[in-house]
Amino acid sequence: MKENVIVNQSKTLLFLLVFIMFSFIVTGIAVDGASTAFKGFLELQFRPARLISDYISERGIGASLINAAAVGITALILISIAKVQLSGATFAAIFTMMGFALFGKTPVNILPIIFGVYLAGKLVGKTFSEYLIIALFGTALGPIVSLITVEMGLTGLSAVAVGTGVGIATGFMLPAIAVSVLHFHQGYSLYNIGLTCGFFALFAASFLRAGGYVFEGLMLWNTSNSAVLIFLVPVLSVILIVTGIFSAGKNSWKDLLAIQKHTGRLPSDFMDLESMGGSLINAGLLGLAGSAYILIIGGDFNGPTIGGLLTIMGFGAFGTHLRNSWPVVVGVIAASLIFGKSLTSPGVLLAAIFCTTLAPIAGAFGVIAGFIAGFIHLVLVHQTGSWQGGMNLYNNGFAGGLTATLIVSVIAWYRSRKSVFK
Amino acid sequence: MKRKDLILHLIGEISNFLLESDPRRLVISLHQEENGLHLCILDENTHTKEELSRIEQKLNSRKRPELAGYYGSMTGHDMLGASRLNLLGWQVKHCDVSSIGSGIKIDIWLGGDAFQNDQFTIPEKGDE
Repeated sequence: MKENVIVNQSKTLLFLLVFIMFSFIVTGIAVDGASTAFKGFLELQFRPARLISDYISERGIGASLINAAAVGITALILISIAKVQLSGATFAAIFTMMGFALFGKTPVNILPIIFGVYLAGKLVGKTFSEYLIIALFGTALGPIVSLITVEMGLTGLSAVAVGTGVGIATGFMLPAIAVSVLHFHQGYSLYNIGLTCGFFALFAASFLRAGGYVFEGLMLWNTSNSAVLIFLVPVLSVILIVTGIFSAGKNSWKDLLAIQKHTGRLPSDFMDLESMGGSLINAGLLGLAGSAYILIIGGDFNGPTIGGLLTIMGFGAFGTHLRNSWPVVVGVIAASLIFGKSLTSPGVLLAAIFCTTLAPIAGAFGVIAGFIAGFIHLVLVHQTGSWQGGMNLYNNGFAGGLTATLIVSVIAWYRSRKSVFK
Repeated sequence: MKRKDLILHLIGEISNFLLESDPRRLVISLHQEENGLHLCILDENTHTKEELSRIEQKLNSRKRPELAGYYGSMTGHDMLGASRLNLLGWQVKHCDVSSIGSGIKIDIWLGGDAFQNDQFTIPEKGDE
């Protein structure tokens, strides 16, 4: 791809992302008023953030949208500091971070993690740009910082200092784990940092439990659907589709079809492999499809579900598309029906959205493999949350990574059945 | 990562790509200097011009430090599925792909910040 095309793409993405963040702030103020929204936003910085803490249920729509915009702006500033051009991977990271800022991430609880990743890079002579993706996605462990700071009985400056220190130490560990666990599933689970953070959180939760701490379950889940929440993602999706059509012009349909042919295996930057326009249209279609699914089954539009939709939209530029996603989603739906779980229950609803982490399995090994992956994923994801004390926000990424590891291991073993030589 | 590991992974990925078309003969040549290395791989399978162009495009893709530093660790390591030349492309200094007789010749130059072109036989522009 030519350098000027890349620069223009990066500028368009920057404008689009800033517009989205600005829209979030304006919408937040319009819904709750500036005073309530900003007061709620500040209060969210020092609230428990473990799964499931729906910020909309906690402090309202306005505070949550401003928090999402603030986390998005933080990500944009870090990308700018790292001098990395915006592309599929960074687009996915920003959308994911903004989504999870509706239920767990805040600027205060993510910064220590990011600083820890930066320090790890310094230790092994890596630039911040080389660990940027790990730093951005690694903010899934923000709830560890919040847990230490506000849930464990510490007060004042000591609470902030210990929480920050633990957050930095956590971030410091992430690059080593992220690279190692990538080999477990060989890139067939898109949310690799979910597996990374889940792996780390298993140890963190075990140490806390060994020290006598008892994790109390959190279940803040907004059930009052408002028009703003219902239409937020569809409107955003239409904006992405229109931007994509204008950007790709007459090639938009061709690029979109070309994207559907990729397996989606990590790292598949659709903006590089095809085009920014096609990727944005793909992201928009995923957002519309996800919203339609929630509407059809009568699910709730709240922080976690909108966060999930924003995540799959982001990964619409980095591995997810309709063709490789549907078998996995059908697998989750089938498992929930067979095991008598309601499609609208929080765990199942989130699994149906986030199971698209396993889309590359369907993309590479076919519909049946994708279906099986989705089926196993639903069973596993109901257990993994309690294993890690809800401290890893990407719980579906954790379960998805384990599921992908299982499936990839079996496929690799099966392919070794034939003799090498006649 | 030790240099030996890096070389093993580079050879693994590029060989994985060429072995997908099951050549009867595959030759790998390595030239090392303190600040860089030159890897040359040849096979004897027939490749179309479009194929050569696609390979060259992937191997000379723009540098992506944010992807190379993380996903680059999969180079020559995770072999289930198709080979991925873009993982190599993010990391190399320069790459040439040419047709030789019935086969293909892929030259890859890789090095650190102190990489010196004159220690290697990188063709100048318009030198071919």
